[in-house]
Amino acid sequence: MAAPQLLCTGWRRLVTGFLWGGWAKPPFRGLRQVVEITEGNTTTIEGKILEDVETPIPPNPSGQCPICRWNLKHKYTYEDVLLLSQFIRSDGGLLPRRITGLCLKEHKKIAVCVQMAQRAGLLPNHKPPLPEEVRKNNKPRLNRYLTRYSIRSVQPIWNKGHKWCKVPMPVSHPILKDNINYGSKPLRFNH
Amino acid sequence: MSSYSKAAQQWATFARAWYLLDARMQPPGKIAEISSIRLQGKHKPVYHALSDLGDHVVIINTRHIAFSGNKWEQKVYSSHTGYPGGFKQVTAAELHQKAPTAIVKLAIYGMLPKNLHRRTMMQRLHLFADDVIPEEIRKNLVEQLPQPRRVPKRLDEYTQEEIDAFPRVWNPPKDFRWR
Repeated sequence: MAAPQLLCTGWRRLVTGFLWGGWAKPPFRGLRQVVEITEGNTTTIEGKILEDVETPIPPNPSGQCPICRWNLKHKYTYEDVLLLSQFIRSDGGLLPRRITGLCLKEHKKIAVCVQMAQRAGLLPNHKPPLPEEVRKNNKPRLNRYLTRYSIRSVQPIWNKGHKWCKVPMPVSHPILKDNINYGSKPLRFNH
Repeated sequence: MSSYSKAAQQWATFARAWYLLDARMQPPGKIAEISSIRLQGKHKPVYHALSDLGDHVVIINTRHIAFSGNKWEQKVYSSHTGYPGGFKQVTAAELHQKAPTAIVKLAIYGMLPKNLHRRTMMQRLHLFADDVIPEEIRKNLVEQLPQPRRVPKRLDEYTQEEIDAFPRVWNPPKDFRWR
């Protein structure tokens, strides 16, 4: 009677330790990805050891953060999804700074750019798992870009004010005001 | 000496051209900017305000226009019915849901000169919510105007080679586990 119970708890501890870290972490043997395959009644949980991707030598190897190392400061916006997607998880959340090694300024800028890219619909597959009724509710999406505030938080400007002191409608984020501008007109944020 | 007569030259100069513009993912202000120039005829070297030289502009996909910032919620379109208490205000999102061509129409109407030609020029503007054009308008089309805004690529539109060619900017620490 006792033996199966013991086996069961041991198995549970092993699984929890493997999946969620638990209190006692097993010794680390490399970067792993857990793949779960279900075939009928049998579920196979496989931990794959991933090798690091070979990175070429950056142009400025003495830089403190990845952005400075690649000389990308003030040179990226919400449109550069290939860069931004390296700093987010599969559910769209931003990776913490202690892991990415970004300096505080660049971390904030990346956070703003990721948010604007998500609101513009440029990262369609980086979304948290949604319940069925939300996913089926396919209302026509309104196209937007350079959206600073969340959609629910803003109110309509019923009264624009006088001609000489109109209430502005902000576009983009002032944290990006030092970005390099290749256009003929200066960047305007209307803040 | 030109080979054609002066009458033909006159007809060719004052003939009306039909332009097509795709409004998908374009801001209405920039659409209005380029189409008001064509409607007034200001792109022609013989332009004169009194000679009525405007061209026709056909704008398709006005349902899929894009606003920058939070203008879908913040921008308000006001009107008055003329009756007491008849002041109406709707946000851009509500107006767009009701009439998918109205926002582009109002933007162009506001950018044209405020004179007696304005209604005439608006009659040469043809707006379509989707990309279906009637045949009698389609056969007139001469040229497609370039889109004013460059539409950024979504992440799922990049091919795998392009994603692989982009260098990995940072590598996670050894004991980091992806979710």
